[in-house]
Amino acid sequence: MNEKKDSKNSNLKLFYTVLQKDVKSEIKQISDIFAIILFGIISVFIFSSAYNTINLGTAMPTSIFVTQIWLIIFFTLIFIMIKLFVQEKEKGTLDGLKASPVSKIILLTSKIVFCFILLSFIELILLIFSFFISIPSVNASNLIEFVNYIIFGIIIPTLDLSVCGTLVSALSMYAKNKSFVLPLLLFPIILPITSPIIALNIKLLEGEILSTVLLELLFVVAHTVLMFSILMLVSEELLSE
Amino acid sequence: MDKINKIILNCENISKQFGFFFALNKISFTVNESTILGIVGANGAGKTTLINILSGLSAPTTGKILIKGMNYKVNERNIKRFIGTITSKSFLYEELSIYENLKFFSKLYAIYDKVETSKTIEQAAANFNLSDWLYEPVSYLSTGMKQKVEIMRVLIHDPSILFLDEPFSGLDFNTINMLITMLINLKEKKNLTLVFTSHNIELIRRISDAILILKRGKISKIVPKDEIDEIKIESYY
Repeated sequence: MNEKKDSKNSNLKLFYTVLQKDVKSEIKQISDIFAIILFGIISVFIFSSAYNTINLGTAMPTSIFVTQIWLIIFFTLIFIMIKLFVQEKEKGTLDGLKASPVSKIILLTSKIVFCFILLSFIELILLIFSFFISIPSVNASNLIEFVNYIIFGIIIPTLDLSVCGTLVSALSMYAKNKSFVLPLLLFPIILPITSPIIALNIKLLEGEILSTVLLELLFVVAHTVLMFSILMLVSEELLSE
Repeated sequence: MDKINKIILNCENISKQFGFFFALNKISFTVNESTILGIVGANGAGKTTLINILSGLSAPTTGKILIKGMNYKVNERNIKRFIGTITSKSFLYEELSIYENLKFFSKLYAIYDKVETSKTIEQAAANFNLSDWLYEPVSYLSTGMKQKVEIMRVLIHDPSILFLDEPFSGLDFNTINMLITMLINLKEKKNLTLVFTSHNIELIRRISDAILILKRGKISKIVPKDEIDEIKIESYY
């Protein structure tokens, strides 16, 4: 019993150690994150400018706002995916992790959480900017609706994207033409959840109650569980040459 | 117990196949505890592949590896706790400082005592004349300095067996001598076992207790200690 608890504690410590190293490394290369954020902000600005040129003075409909934001987030994910395994593989540091007594499952889960943190941070900045630049017509006005939107419209889909991103990053790190393989593999994996995520966001921003988005939510959660299970099942093969 | 006869590493029929090409073909050898095995061979002989397999970075296509009597396939995590590896690629994070890198690697080997780790790192940095660089990013260091940090990293968790691929490349004469003295001390005092590759035949002759000569993925000859000075190693390439 105690042995099991010790092993659990030591796994948690290892998980935290790898995650902490990734975050620290990223902070030291903060210009990379700024570049991704800049890409996002410029995209929002171009989108909003194009909309405002045609529809002078009218607030951006929720459907267009949500589509614009998630389109940018999907592209942002590709940049983050490069940071997960591809860069570590190219630099040789992944071998340092593989040669250490850290289980492959710990490595993969720490990368999922790292991807989630990075994506959430970028999303937060993008959302704040886009709310000011695009000025969408949002009907969700009370705190509960807003919290629902954050949890079910942002956090859960971001978690799903983080799992998909980690899986694709690990799958493509051995490929010769990584920049080609990454989006090519990501596209079919995230295609089934694109529509549910956008529908979920539109409905929540329009102030609809949770029961009306249950189907979309269930689909996104099921997709997350499925992708996570695949990732764990193939963890040994993914990180072995 | 006579430590000289205690086998720490046992490789049985190790093969590694890439497509139709055999990088290693049915390699079998043993290494005793507290000994130094030098691996030599021409380019493409399979030295790096062998080190990668022994350190768990790559799995053999067939064959069995026992380290301290434990099978690699079954006890991979346990075995990795007491081995150290240096390959041709650096394991160090360029953006982190020497101190942060070494602290990270010590935590990977479950060394969490902050005070003790700091002391060990500072002492190691002093031994390698890197105290002034301890808090600088690794990217600021020269190739030789990075190699020194690699050696500090590999010793941080007090391993029982080291697998080193060309560990002395890029180092100056004095540093190589310092390292050799240190490794031989560790071998004598802490029963450290060393398996390393090098193209420097003289160096291999000087420190090895046995030499394994690889030729096109097969063992061409295993030279015991008493024959090391007499044999012309290059003739077996």
